[in-house]
Amino acid sequence: MALQTIVQTVARTLAEEMVRDDAVVLLGEDVGKRGGVFLATEGLFDRFGPDRVIDTPLSEAAIIGAAIGMAVHGMRPVAEIQFADYVFPGFDQLVSQAAKLRYRSGGGFSAPMVVRMPAGGGVAGGHHHSQNPESHFVHTPGLQVVYPSTPSDTRGLLRSAVRGQDPVVFMEPKRLYRAVKEELPDDDATIPIGQARLRREGDDVVLISYGASMAETLKAADALAAQGVSADVIDLRSLLPWDQDLVLERVARVGRVVVISEAPRTLSFASEVAATIAEEALDLLEAPPVRVTGFDVPYPYAQDRAYLPGPDRILHAVQRVLDY
Amino acid sequence: MIGNVRRFEPFGEAPIRVIDDDGRWVAPFACDIDVARQRAIYRDMLRARRFDERLSTLQRQGKVSFVASAAGHEATQIGAAHALDATRDWTFPYYRDLALALALGWPLAEALAQQTASRLDPARGRQMPAHPGSAALRIFTTASAIASHVPPAVGSAMAQKLAGRGDVTLCSFGDGATSEGDWHAALNLAGAQGAPAVFLCQNNGYAISVAFRHQSGSADVATKAHAYGMPGYRVDGMDPLAAYYVTRQAVERAREGLGPSLIEALVYRYGPHSNADDDGRYRPADEVAAWRRRDPIVRYRRYLEGRGLWDDDAEAALAAEIKAEIDDAVRANAGAGRAPLGWMFDDVFAALPPHLRRQRDELALTHDLERDGH
Repeated sequence: MALQTIVQTVARTLAEEMVRDDAVVLLGEDVGKRGGVFLATEGLFDRFGPDRVIDTPLSEAAIIGAAIGMAVHGMRPVAEIQFADYVFPGFDQLVSQAAKLRYRSGGGFSAPMVVRMPAGGGVAGGHHHSQNPESHFVHTPGLQVVYPSTPSDTRGLLRSAVRGQDPVVFMEPKRLYRAVKEELPDDDATIPIGQARLRREGDDVVLISYGASMAETLKAADALAAQGVSADVIDLRSLLPWDQDLVLERVARVGRVVVISEAPRTLSFASEVAATIAEEALDLLEAPPVRVTGFDVPYPYAQDRAYLPGPDRILHAVQRVLDY
Repeated sequence: MIGNVRRFEPFGEAPIRVIDDDGRWVAPFACDIDVARQRAIYRDMLRARRFDERLSTLQRQGKVSFVASAAGHEATQIGAAHALDATRDWTFPYYRDLALALALGWPLAEALAQQTASRLDPARGRQMPAHPGSAALRIFTTASAIASHVPPAVGSAMAQKLAGRGDVTLCSFGDGATSEGDWHAALNLAGAQGAPAVFLCQNNGYAISVAFRHQSGSADVATKAHAYGMPGYRVDGMDPLAAYYVTRQAVERAREGLGPSLIEALVYRYGPHSNADDDGRYRPADEVAAWRRRDPIVRYRRYLEGRGLWDDDAEAALAAEIKAEIDDAVRANAGAGRAPLGWMFDDVFAALPPHLRRQRDELALTHDLERDGH
């Protein structure tokens, strides 16, 4: 089996799910003949036809709203938002309808569906092709939120998302779409939403991240290793629900932690992780948890390599917790 | 089309009527509605009005926190409900659609349980009053956010089209909804997809206090259908048979695969927007009085009497039956208790995730989770 990129894995997994279950349909802008602007649905229109790979009008409210209506009929829609930055016209559909439907109907109706969206910066896209809006979704009870960083995690989590019972915001690290490759086993394994993954084991500091900034976090761990500092690295993969147990277990073991996220700092998911660690494990900490995040500015264009948490800023933060 | 006859042309100048203000048949075709349904339409209208009045009483007694009266909207809601096949079609209502939901079969006792968030509410007391919904009846549970149900209604119709069984989706909303982006996005999608949807606008002239002339530069709502490639019909919304026949034509058109329609029913809400509103600030009293003189229940009763289908004895029997049903529901619900605190954590997801389990346990340290909500 050849090496697969993340974006190839998305297309392949969607195809497998469409073969497995006739109820799975795709909808979005350019997902049909074009195969998606990133080619995440490449070849699927020819294979499954226009009834199952639906090119919609350019309207995120219509795409997400239609997915909700299809989901209540027992279909399993997978909607694509071309860039996470463009989800906001459909945000009310996620917040007011999808997230609350099961709750407000007392379990009578539900909207099991997946809303895929490429997210994250580093692609010379300015503030409308680069953002990480995960906190908005995590802050909306009723939505599950995942943000994998590897092909195998993308496959296992996308399977869980399509087969699950709840609406899932499925964020894809567009900067890593073709940068991370893996050979994928020929299996049907799922990864439960809510389970983190230990990417490295180390004794000196715990680095916690997810999504696109996992690549920078692993680079930082390599650089630390070269300096004789061994880092534990956790890839959260799921943000809601998130794996509090694994995080607290590793932090308790090591006592020093840095949390890394591309999103603006205030109310970032890194803040939630840091607050939980402080609340649950203060006695076990050797240093305060430190966040390395994007800054509280609109995503910048000419300065984004400094805005994104790179190995330089991560190493600086690690030094701070080691020196504390 | 009805059979092979299309009775109504879209985009007409005058609102479509089947009976006039005095209950006389004025349509250029003969009535083909069976007698049982003609009487049932009257029963549904009177029942909705009486229940509406009881809810206002309960509100004044402090037993219901909010009322959005449907009085004045009954003809449209009930005429439309009778044009659907309640065993197969889907309905996406808005908050003023109590009469519509009741006519579709939403049990009155369930409706009362919803208004009071009692333990008898199948929706488990999750919403404020005036939010109809029933999974069993395919009535999509109402959301307060105006027009947010219109895109999902189109998705429902797209699913019905793909299933190919000829089922349709009716989506109902007020005139204010037509200003929301979601409304336009949804009608545009429905037109592009040829979705079997019927959009029913209950235009009562005001979005709370804002008159329609400030809502839109368009002379009416029906015209907007042009832009989305579907027929638009203006209907006298105080005429239940006009609402029935025009909805029936739109439903049959959708069933035959000819796509969506937009119906604008001209109605009037007799009361304020809700019990929290003061409509005297924005509506002249003589306007309200003029519309009340066109009451759809009085008008339709005259029609039935003219056909020999109704009389004082039938009226007295029906009024007694409705009163007994409402009294029974109020009595049963009064002892049921409010949705308990512990229900707060259920139905967020299909299964309770660890963080919600921890939060429920945390609340249990200070509160009895079995205690009634407030």
